[in-house]
Amino acid sequence: MQKWICIICGFVYDEAVGMPAHGIAAGTKFSALPEDWVCPECGSPKESFEVQE
Amino acid sequence: MDTSAAPAAGRIEIDGRIFNPYAKDYIREPRPVWQRLLRDYPLAWHKDLQMWLVNSHALCDQVLKDQRFTPNYRAWELAPPPKAEADKTDFDLAYEKGFFAVSPKDHLRLRKLTMPAFAKPVMAKIDAKIRDLVVECFDAIGEAESFDVYQTIASKLPVRAISRMVGVPTDKEEFFHEFAVNIIKATRINISAKEREASVELTKPGFAYFKAQIAERRALPHPGEDFLGSLVGASDNGEKLDDYEILSVLFALITAGSDTATDLHTFAILGLLSNLDQYELLKRQPQLMENAIIELLRWGSFGKVPFFRFATEDIEFHGQFIKKGQAVGVNISAAWLDPAKYPDWDRLDLQRRLDGNLVFGAGAHFCIGTYLVRVQGGLMIQEFIKRFPDAELLDGTGELDYDYQHHNARRINRLMVRTNRSSSSLQQAA
Repeated sequence: MQKWICIICGFVYDEAVGMPAHGIAAGTKFSALPEDWVCPECGSPKESFEVQE
Repeated sequence: MDTSAAPAAGRIEIDGRIFNPYAKDYIREPRPVWQRLLRDYPLAWHKDLQMWLVNSHALCDQVLKDQRFTPNYRAWELAPPPKAEADKTDFDLAYEKGFFAVSPKDHLRLRKLTMPAFAKPVMAKIDAKIRDLVVECFDAIGEAESFDVYQTIASKLPVRAISRMVGVPTDKEEFFHEFAVNIIKATRINISAKEREASVELTKPGFAYFKAQIAERRALPHPGEDFLGSLVGASDNGEKLDDYEILSVLFALITAGSDTATDLHTFAILGLLSNLDQYELLKRQPQLMENAIIELLRWGSFGKVPFFRFATEDIEFHGQFIKKGQAVGVNISAAWLDPAKYPDWDRLDLQRRLDGNLVFGAGAHFCIGTYLVRVQGGLMIQEFIKRFPDAELLDGTGELDYDYQHHNARRINRLMVRTNRSSSSLQQAA
């Protein structure tokens, strides 16, 4: 399980936690999110995310 | 070239009779104007302002996420001609290296290098650094029965917080404030070219000061763990920020967190004390604070003139033809109160679900200072609640007044609060 950070706004997507309030179950890999998924904080596309060291 | 003189066929046009951002009535009560724009003119060419005005939430969202609309005012058809290299000031050089001016690819690189200095975990540490500043502002109120939120808090706290963050000593806060105001004015297209150039001149001492600070840090074996040190030391695969890139980040921090945050404080208190049920709710449920700040900003909607974007190419946009170089005013203040997005738009609801809100913008240029603002606003409101749980607006109105000349905000410069300290003391004693 990895964490991904949006380099525009700093929002962190944690695969282990998912986003249950947004219908994304815990354990959902970042790669499994839809291609048109956007950062819930700033609206940036998936390409704006990087693995958080 | 000014393209406004030759209206395109089918172009929807408005003028200052429909939207005049400098009219006193509008500054005092903008809601009727915004609701008319939202209902009748979600997108229109403003003949007097010589720009497109985008008003609806949906269209503002689209423009902010569409990179064909750049915030770089050098792309504006009325921008002054580029200066010769030898004539460029520090302001010009920092602007050229900054978030608003670089290509989308370089913008991502810059955000990546600077994000560690602005991200949420770092801002949580800023909490400890500015808490005492908040307490100092409130201590100055003493035992007064009433006080002016603008004079006591809003005009002092933001610039002190940013000064503290970038390591400016207390005796240089006034100097820093002048630098901050002139940095912002130097980029505003709603003031004259002469005023902009005068502001650029006035930024010179500030740039000289920070260049010296950066040079000092570079000379140290380790540049330090604070904000400036983290920028000097920032590295991505060996790539570092140069001096003007660091200055451009300071530039962004100032525009994001200094003058703008002044309005956060006044409008937050006005919102809470105009909606005492919500003030009570926040007292009972302090965990709502982060959502509360965003909702207070949305509801207060303190903007006067729109965000600016500039078309980098000819664009067909929702039935209108936007020519390359034309200015686009993204009227997010109106968008925050769009009934299509928020059916109960005029209600302050601290528990509102704010998914997809545009309070800090959207897309690549999402507000870099968003967490700083939330930390600062949260600390101020916490302290306000602690000290004045029974506060009210003085005489029910707060004797509200505005700085009608402010260059971009509906700047409240008087907001009187009755502390009701004696009644809360009595209640506590009971």
